[in-house]
Amino acid sequence: MANVTARPAPLSRAGAGRFTRQERLAYTMLAPVLGTILVIVTYPFLLAVLQSLQDSAGREFVGPSNYVNALANPLLYEALGATGTYAALVMPTEILLGLGLALLVHRTVRSSSVRALLFVLATIPLVLPPIAVGVIARLIYAPGYGVLNYLLIGAGIVRDEINWLGQPATAMPAVASVDVWQWTPFVYLVLFSGLLTVPREEIEAAQVDGASGWQQFWHIELNYLRPLLLLIVFFRLADVLRVFDHVFVLTGGGPGNTTQLLSLYLYRIEFKYFDSGQAAALAVLVLVGVSIAYSLVTRALPVERR
Amino acid sequence: MRRAQWAPALVVAALLISACQPSTTGGGGAQKPAKLTIAAVQGNEDAALKAVAPLYEQKTGIKIEIVEFPYDQLFEKLVTTFKANSPTYDLVMMDDPWMPKFGTDESLQPLDSTYGIKRDSDIPDVVYDVGTWPPPRGPVPPKAKGKAAHLIGVTIVGNVEMFMYRSDMGPAPKTWDEVKANADKNKKANFWGYVVRGKATNPIVADFLPILWSFGGDVFDSNWNVTIDNAASLKAVKFLVQDLKAAAPPGSESIDAADRSRLMAIGQAYQSTVWPGEITEIVENSTVSQVKGKVSYIPMPAGPSGKGIGMMGNWLLGVPKASSNGQAAADFITWLTSSDTQKTYVDKGGIPARKSILNDASLNQKNPYFAALAKSLEAVPNWRPRTDQWNAVETILGTNLNAALAGLATPEDAVKKAADQIRTLMKGAGY
Amino acid sequence: MRPRRSWRAVLAIPVFAVIAILYAFPLYWLLVTSLKSKAELYQTTLTLFPEAPTFQPYVSVLVERGLWVLLRNSVVVCGLSVLVALVLGLLITYPITRLEVSPRVRVGILNWALSLRFLPPIAVVVPYFGVVRTLGLYDQPQALVLIYSLLNLPFTIWMLKGFLSEIPREIEEAAFTDGAGRWTAFRLVLLPLAWPGLFAAAVIVFTFTWSEFLFALILTSTPNAQTFPVGVQGLVTQFEVIWNDMAAAGTIALALPLVLMVLARRYVVAGLTFGVVREK
Repeated sequence: MANVTARPAPLSRAGAGRFTRQERLAYTMLAPVLGTILVIVTYPFLLAVLQSLQDSAGREFVGPSNYVNALANPLLYEALGATGTYAALVMPTEILLGLGLALLVHRTVRSSSVRALLFVLATIPLVLPPIAVGVIARLIYAPGYGVLNYLLIGAGIVRDEINWLGQPATAMPAVASVDVWQWTPFVYLVLFSGLLTVPREEIEAAQVDGASGWQQFWHIELNYLRPLLLLIVFFRLADVLRVFDHVFVLTGGGPGNTTQLLSLYLYRIEFKYFDSGQAAALAVLVLVGVSIAYSLVTRALPVERR
Repeated sequence: MRRAQWAPALVVAALLISACQPSTTGGGGAQKPAKLTIAAVQGNEDAALKAVAPLYEQKTGIKIEIVEFPYDQLFEKLVTTFKANSPTYDLVMMDDPWMPKFGTDESLQPLDSTYGIKRDSDIPDVVYDVGTWPPPRGPVPPKAKGKAAHLIGVTIVGNVEMFMYRSDMGPAPKTWDEVKANADKNKKANFWGYVVRGKATNPIVADFLPILWSFGGDVFDSNWNVTIDNAASLKAVKFLVQDLKAAAPPGSESIDAADRSRLMAIGQAYQSTVWPGEITEIVENSTVSQVKGKVSYIPMPAGPSGKGIGMMGNWLLGVPKASSNGQAAADFITWLTSSDTQKTYVDKGGIPARKSILNDASLNQKNPYFAALAKSLEAVPNWRPRTDQWNAVETILGTNLNAALAGLATPEDAVKKAADQIRTLMKGAGY
Repeated sequence: MRPRRSWRAVLAIPVFAVIAILYAFPLYWLLVTSLKSKAELYQTTLTLFPEAPTFQPYVSVLVERGLWVLLRNSVVVCGLSVLVALVLGLLITYPITRLEVSPRVRVGILNWALSLRFLPPIAVVVPYFGVVRTLGLYDQPQALVLIYSLLNLPFTIWMLKGFLSEIPREIEEAAFTDGAGRWTAFRLVLLPLAWPGLFAAAVIVFTFTWSEFLFALILTSTPNAQTFPVGVQGLVTQFEVIWNDMAAAGTIALALPLVLMVLARRYVVAGLTFGVVREK
């Protein structure tokens, strides 16, 4: 949101006489729409700043104490740690699996109809509501009725039920596995379409030179995939900060605080502990932090801005 | 031409306004509303409420809309709605430990002074006391001191936590020591001597408090000093997380009421604590239970102090101040808790608090726990400490107890950590 | 190349088989659980096939628990959000793609839309809760429509920009020389050509909105405004053994995006990557 306020308003630049008829029409269309959106987007942010400087009842100003409390709360750092662990689990896994799969399909599947079918199948997980995916994960991991324990015991792999969601050591991987299930296909799709942009001549030339499959990947294909990998990293990082739904229904942040990601932590401060001053302070900190991070990486984002 | 460009936006705006007109139109307090909206807990506690609600519509023409939330979320949703000062709920169903928060925040309409609801001598005083704010006995939070006491909630589910055991396999335990002895004696492969309801926060605290009190411990003394780390309290913690856990199924730290009563119903457990709702819904429900008639229900066994102390878990109905149908809502409470309605209510599986119903011999045949519930109410069960900070206290205590039960912390460390955190919390809240 | 392909193909088959199981089994398990009776849940062992398949859980979820109201809310809220997002999206993308505007404005708008994609909703929902409370929109579907349209605007802008800029300007200009005004040319020439793109954008925005849970959870309190995911989540409880109902609700929540996906499958990835990856 901080970004929003930083953008110059289109009309402030020059006198109306300098515009062509088309420009005038364009700005008459844009100004009211963008103006309204600007207000709708900025006003809550200002309200949050206000709220973050008041006590929780919203009656008196308390200065920066909400910020001090928010930053002094050890649970914040546990939440940041959990978010980091989550990112460290899901991002490399998704990228490696997605990349491996894209290469495998690209090199073994030649039939275009099979490729098209795989494309369609891979988009399915992306559109499933995370809440429903969370329900599935519950039916798999839950104590007592989870089918995973049943299958593992039936196959003789383990003897006693494993309490997947109840132990710190397994709860985070269980929660992360849901993310991997849902988002590896995204990595696959992006990278597979990247592989299709590699010119055939370059590959063929390399093969004539006797390059191995690995060299072919490392020296040629990776160059074409690099901007896409960057894109995946940015988008998935942003998504890790949004993760809420499936963790909410799977563990609710537990056991203890092991899966309490930043988003669940913020939810808990506002809607469980009802400390709206501290919650607003956290929201402002997160928005400012994300805006700064965004403005630092935005140039590197490989999107077409024309 | 320019005007024409805005046409689609206008169409959408018109659509938005017409399609989203709220379906309720809040009438004045005196008018008869078309419907009353009740926020309720999802599960067996509100099953009977749902079953009798249509009768009220037949009688008065007022539709009763019941909106259900899972236990964890109902409290959050109520606080949020009260904060939004939204008139969306005319009645709210509340667990009794939440009353201090709503009392302190003055979110609820006094039912006695505003709508003239009076105590009924057929209902035990403790049931009204638990819905009164500030509390008529025990320590009073600093913010509530000196305020006039009002009834802000009326019990519709007369829950008191009790004890169940397989009476086809052994006698009733009189003390917690006997509970432990029976647990060890009856434990065998795929059959557990005791089930600890050990899921973090509310569940494990509810399982633990009756033991704590029976052992002479407590969370606070009469001046809000934290006593959860004194010798008697520590002994109770050890009894739960060591002695009872030894006879309990693995994964105790994530077992909640549903798992506990399921284990009982499929014949894999000997004994546990129990809430009345689990009895009608699961243990005595012939479609799912294999042990119907083989289980008996008794008040909480006694501890070293010689006394067994049950725990209140009443569900109450109250009227939010923001409701625009206050009088009609209060009339519904009166109708629901009346002697006549309660007969139907019990017939639909409701849990009453009326002595005449609990002691009715024919009803006892159908509901084998009524006598134990009547006895438990008569013995004046404890309630959870009357502080608006209870939810936070429960979270702290429940997280640390759960850690001790899971073996992640020693009982000593767990109580110390819990006590320190609760002290900081209470100090910050002005206690 | 040819000889290498064979061992890769041998490797590929078991890999594909494992992946197929990893994706098919959870979905199968959801469906199977949703067809079980309550009595079957109380058996001591799990059953991999329902013994006596029943639609009772669906009846229970939609009728007895009344979740069909939430389903209806979801459809209304999603439909209106799509409309608003598309209209706003067109009002923004038409000028920047079809009219001569300074490239700074154009890039500025696109950058701004992209930046919104990176805002964590939880940090946004806290201030919005405050606004909704003050405006008296708590538990009103309008609040959700407003917020969902805004949340989806970045996607919409980027998708529409892609579709609109692919339509050659000459086509419109031909209409102008025939004496058509801008509005007429938009309506009769541009809109029919952009229609498939608009439709795809609509389907994708609908799907995303359908899945939204956090705002719906926080800003609603009764079936007046609650959406289906809120209802699904409400069935995920430890206190009752209602896994069959929970699975049935989950199945319903999955079904609609699945169907819609078939219509817009080629555009999903383009939408998710802001047009970096185009349809194949």
